[in-house]
Amino acid sequence: MKRYRDQKTDTLGDHLNEQLEQTVNGAALSDEELFSFAAFDAGAAERGGYSNYSYWGATVRAFLRNKTAVFFLCLMLLVLVFTYIQPHLPNQRDPLLIHNNEWGLPLNNIPPGDEFWFGTNAIGQDLWARIWAGTRTSLFIGFSVAMVEAVVGILVGMLWGYVRRLDFFFTELYNVLDNIPQTLLLILISYVLKPGVSTIIFALSLTGWLGMARFIRNQIIIIRDRDYNLVSRCLGVSTGRIIVKNLLPYLVSVITMRMALAIPSAIGNEVFVTYIGIGLPVDTPSLGNLIQTGRALMTVSSLRYQLYFPVIVLAVITISFYIIGNSFADAADPKNHV
Amino acid sequence: MTKYILKRVLRSLVTMFIIITILFSLLRLMPIEGYFESFDKMNEVQIQVKLNSLGLTDPLPKQLVRFYKQILSGDLGVSNVYRRDVSINTIIAEKIPISLELGLTALAIALALGLPLGILMARSTRTRFRIGDKLGTVFIVIIQAVPAAVYHILIQFAGSQTFLKLPMLFDPGDPKSYILPIFSLSIGNIAYYAMWLRRYMVDEANKDYIRLARAKGVPEGRISRSHVFRNAMVPLIQYIPNSILFTLMGSLYVESLYSVPGMGGLLVTAIKRQDNTLVQALVLIYAVVSILGLLFGDILMGLVDPRISFAKKEGGR
Amino acid sequence: MIVISGTENAVILSVQDLNIKFTLRGQVLHAIRGVSLDVYQGESLAIVGESGSGKSVFVKSFMGLLDGNGFIDGGHILYNNMDLTQNRSNKDWLKIRGKEIAMVLQDPMTSLNPLKNIGSQILEAVELHRGLRGPAAYQAVLEVLRDVGIDEPERRYKQYPHEFSGGMRQRVVIAIAVACRPKILICDEPTTALDVTIQAQILELIKAMQKKYALTTIYITHDLGVVANVADRIAVMYAGDIIEVGSCDEVFYDPRHPYTWALLSSLPQLGVKGKALYAIQGTPPNLFHEVRGDAFAPRNPQALRIDFLERPPFFQVSPTHKARTWLLDPRAPKVEPPEHIRILREEGVNRFGN
Repeated sequence: MKRYRDQKTDTLGDHLNEQLEQTVNGAALSDEELFSFAAFDAGAAERGGYSNYSYWGATVRAFLRNKTAVFFLCLMLLVLVFTYIQPHLPNQRDPLLIHNNEWGLPLNNIPPGDEFWFGTNAIGQDLWARIWAGTRTSLFIGFSVAMVEAVVGILVGMLWGYVRRLDFFFTELYNVLDNIPQTLLLILISYVLKPGVSTIIFALSLTGWLGMARFIRNQIIIIRDRDYNLVSRCLGVSTGRIIVKNLLPYLVSVITMRMALAIPSAIGNEVFVTYIGIGLPVDTPSLGNLIQTGRALMTVSSLRYQLYFPVIVLAVITISFYIIGNSFADAADPKNHV
Repeated sequence: MTKYILKRVLRSLVTMFIIITILFSLLRLMPIEGYFESFDKMNEVQIQVKLNSLGLTDPLPKQLVRFYKQILSGDLGVSNVYRRDVSINTIIAEKIPISLELGLTALAIALALGLPLGILMARSTRTRFRIGDKLGTVFIVIIQAVPAAVYHILIQFAGSQTFLKLPMLFDPGDPKSYILPIFSLSIGNIAYYAMWLRRYMVDEANKDYIRLARAKGVPEGRISRSHVFRNAMVPLIQYIPNSILFTLMGSLYVESLYSVPGMGGLLVTAIKRQDNTLVQALVLIYAVVSILGLLFGDILMGLVDPRISFAKKEGGR
Repeated sequence: MIVISGTENAVILSVQDLNIKFTLRGQVLHAIRGVSLDVYQGESLAIVGESGSGKSVFVKSFMGLLDGNGFIDGGHILYNNMDLTQNRSNKDWLKIRGKEIAMVLQDPMTSLNPLKNIGSQILEAVELHRGLRGPAAYQAVLEVLRDVGIDEPERRYKQYPHEFSGGMRQRVVIAIAVACRPKILICDEPTTALDVTIQAQILELIKAMQKKYALTTIYITHDLGVVANVADRIAVMYAGDIIEVGSCDEVFYDPRHPYTWALLSSLPQLGVKGKALYAIQGTPPNLFHEVRGDAFAPRNPQALRIDFLERPPFFQVSPTHKARTWLLDPRAPKVEPPEHIRILREEGVNRFGN
């Protein structure tokens, strides 16, 4: 642990060390010297404590101590970066292009090899290109839903918390909406509206913000009522500073965690609606319809690669987000700081 | 206590009324093809006549009143496409037993495996290397993080295509075909109950009253059983009525994956076949079940936790 | 002559050179640094210190209640011809907990199981330690409820903790402790969480229980007011070490360690109107680092050089009073205690002669 030392303390420290050296070396001080007064130094008196604490520093350190989380963070960053630069790399194919041989017949169900790294699907499209295109779609859905959840959740939550007259209304609204199973709403919206990326994002965002709004509302109430904030206010600290110093650290960590967890759940929901037939159309590659296609072929052992590859990519992404989200929340909890 | 229950019931009724109204109105947006068996072959006039006879051209409030009258008399209407002109009540009566049978078995298994797993994990947090806790956590993380849609496929795949060679699809006459759907149905709940029980037990174990129990000389085993486990189960008990009620609805995904002719599969089929009245009926049942689940959960919670009837506890998960 | 009570009695519990450490994320915290202390049969001893001084950890080690990352690293806790530091399993400790040593915790709001009625929580203790069952056990619970001043015990038996006020709950906690029929009762900040109006009642109750059941009581507190009220002897703890021990009057009216001086000087009751209240400078040392010499030295404006180098031994002030400070060494320069302490000393002289 690095400790704060000002110059004066250092001098005193050195002075003491010197004395120590002498004692250790047997060149002990005389009794008279030993029993003379030492200089008092206020800095040294304070030094014993734990005052060099920095919230974000401790959070980052706690996170980095968690090797599993760091591993998944690296893995996720790798996948994210690759997903977005993949189309710009040389020799990449169009995910929608149907590849034909010289006689004009489709190169379908080609097993993974040099030509097609992940093989081709039943109509001769390149699976490698489709998987990364699908990952882009799924991540786009995930990130969009997480963003909407954060923005709407924070806005509604602030309104809910700040305007006391609205509290009853919002609380009852929350209780009603919270009773609707998300799956059900997802199915309904997808059923009523035209299937597509925006429909899925809309359906998932419709109730996703509830948890966030409630959380923000509780935080706002805490600003009003928690003792340490009351103390800050009595000491004349401005509301802005209370928000920045007392509230934001906690808020940011929980918001980040919720967003991180919203992403895998959105991706999973996309797979689900695609499965029941009201998801994305086939010409929009997504992890959902790739897995759906793969599933239909799983009885044929030579075609199982069409299930394996998308499942692996999906599992890597969802598990990474899940672990990073939870580990970050743990790391951001001051109880886990030393 | 009675007052608490009455208040809670009243609130559920209001919620139910609001939700049914919202859903019913929302469902008026359904594509009108869903009311006809052979939409493509009909002309404009025939369509109008049919819509009129179904009352769909009436103003929304009028439809709502009629709808409430209908459901209060216990009638959910008739199917348009799935099984034409067959009462939805009849259809559901055939489906519910199957879902219930599989679901209750799966829930029993989930509790029988999930709770001991949670206890084991919580105990393991007090050991040096926490091996049990770590292994359990890996399992829970995988189940929580990987979308259910994906791990069910993998279970079906592993169970039917590898050395186990279990039947891939459900067949009421073949007991072996029950194994995979039940396993699929229970695995999520195993992870869920284990995770929460572990968390609550660890929370409880750090509380002062456990310290006091230890200080008064209660043996560890007894502390674990009669204080930690007992108290940790209280918040979990709230979710059990919900779990039981939801077995009625089956699982949308598992049932259609294994072709189980139950309620969950029915909803998926109704959506795929665009049977509007059937979708509407099932959606409403679904909403009612979830509200009742929470209601019974809260009431049960009030019965086990002596504090509830005094201080109002915030609802929600 | 200062009255010393307790000393004629036999030693019931003897701690010798006890070291307790905690491992926390790879670092080792030395929480109790070579503490020795004798507790006498029937006395009431107060261990005083600011939060974090290790007083709570110290007494928890008598019952094997250290947190999982804490361990005893040398020393002995002798009780009844047993060395409690040799206890390894929980089974060994079950012979001590409740039966020999019982405890009252700080916060009565959290120290009872919220889901069990209070009767059954007392019953648990009665059954475990007195081997009573059925109606006999029930009667024993009612008796102990009456003992701690709870009216209508039959009705109260069935009630849950949330139906009791804070003071009443603390009575229940005390009932649980005495229901075990222990020899030693440890009260860890028994009144800190209570309303001021209730505090005195609870202290009176503990005193009454001590008398009725011939208990030896150990109070852990940072509240010198509580100490003055109940203690025969005082042990002052600082940074994991006991730095001064003496009878209540000795420590209050003739303190010797600079930390005790500072502690007493900061009592609001001793403040002089119009003057700023005394406050100890600085913060206690970080016990993750090895403490050298007198732990209080960096905060002591009149520290000697040797205070930074060598740990002072105990210097005997009277047969019952000793302090760990180099100021008591014959070679040390004469240091006058602060003004407040001089006033206290005079007051002591006036009161007791000497």
